[in-house]
Amino acid sequence: MNDVSFRVERGEIVGFLGPNGAGKTTTLRMLTGYLAPTSGAIRIDGIDAIRSSIEARARLGYMPEGVPLYREMRVDEYLRHRAALKAVDGIADAVDRSLERAGVADARRRIIGQLSKGYRQRVGLAESLLADPPILILDEPTSGLDPNQVRQFRDLVRSFARKKTVLLSTHILSEVEAVCDRVIIIREGEKVADLAPGDSETSLEDVFADLTASARAGDAS
Amino acid sequence: MKRAWVVMRRELSSFFVSPLAYVVLTAWLVWNGVVFWVLTEFYARNAVASGAASPLSAFFGGSSLFFIPLLVFVPILTMRLVAAEQQSGTIEPLMTAPVSDGAIIVGKYVAAIAMWCVLWLPTVIYAWIMRQHGTVDWGAVAASYLGIFLLGTYFMAIGLLMSALAPTQIIAAVLSFVALGVLFTVGIGEFVFDGAARDFCAYVSMWGHMQSFAKGVVDTRYLVFDLSVAVLAVGLSVGVLEARRRG
Repeated sequence: MNDVSFRVERGEIVGFLGPNGAGKTTTLRMLTGYLAPTSGAIRIDGIDAIRSSIEARARLGYMPEGVPLYREMRVDEYLRHRAALKAVDGIADAVDRSLERAGVADARRRIIGQLSKGYRQRVGLAESLLADPPILILDEPTSGLDPNQVRQFRDLVRSFARKKTVLLSTHILSEVEAVCDRVIIIREGEKVADLAPGDSETSLEDVFADLTASARAGDAS
Repeated sequence: MKRAWVVMRRELSSFFVSPLAYVVLTAWLVWNGVVFWVLTEFYARNAVASGAASPLSAFFGGSSLFFIPLLVFVPILTMRLVAAEQQSGTIEPLMTAPVSDGAIIVGKYVAAIAMWCVLWLPTVIYAWIMRQHGTVDWGAVAASYLGIFLLGTYFMAIGLLMSALAPTQIIAAVLSFVALGVLFTVGIGEFVFDGAARDFCAYVSMWGHMQSFAKGVVDTRYLVFDLSVAVLAVGLSVGVLEARRRG
């Protein structure tokens, strides 16, 4: 990663875009405290996320890529465990609320390892909502979902508009156009664009192709 | 420390819902049942040769038969602690939760100690069996369990450290097995070397450690050794997690 600087305003929904291997996941892992950057600064909700990592993490809901979960646990057990770990007040209510919002209330007594990918994805989303955090960071939240689930997910994210700050990474351009106020495009660890999807004359697809492909051709010469 | 408690609870519940727990506990009791039977037979047939020793003091570390199962079972108990999370990716949500690395490690360590105690709990029945047929020195039995607990604080810490270092559970198990095997063998050096080397080997000897406790002698040198190794290995495990964040 090299010199990726950006700001996400409160209540904004921002798409984080880039070809595979561009450093999307690495950037998100630095924001969430899983990896420490060698240089630079990260502020989450005004808190220095490097110095006061735990306080910063308490303000985040994070859904890592691939949604790793404890497969042997039941959905509600897992959420209760995570709520306790996050020191959420009123664990039972928090679990019910996030199960409801993520649309997995019907699977609450099922064992996570036996759930389909789409359901596991939603369990991960429910987990990120547990502490009702002001900021959500979602790494490829719709990979593996069927079209109906994708639509439900988008509706959910749109319902956060102006209430929560959302940063989601994806390489599905239509998703960005559907839900995001702003797009940040990175390529090979560097930021190459920061724009609103409606801004440019050309489609987001062309912008993306231009920025990521032309630069690569430039490397080759 | 409340969050260390949450980590511990999950660690224990995931262990006890896994078939591994019951396979390990059953295998452990079968193996030790055979050890206890062989020792009892030996002392029954060699009453004169046995002197002050008893089947119980032999069982609780007076013989090397105590350590052979441990070299196998300790790595199996501790391999999962951190390496399983690393392997399944669940380490990422764990390390991005608002919990300190110290709380994660302490939670897992205390869970490992609890598993160690569960392993040993059923062996109380051997003391009860001996009681049915003769006298039992309960002071020595209590000292034996204290010795086993202390040995556990140090074995579990080493297993935890190996599990934190290893990328997979199998590698964690192999590393712990080698670490314990080397420590056991170095202790045997007590009978090989002279002078300072002999003293050093005697000091780290887990065999000497348990022989002393099994006789009912609580030797504070062993206590200091066990607790220092435990603190060091647990501290290093926290360091390993911190280092992982820096890539």
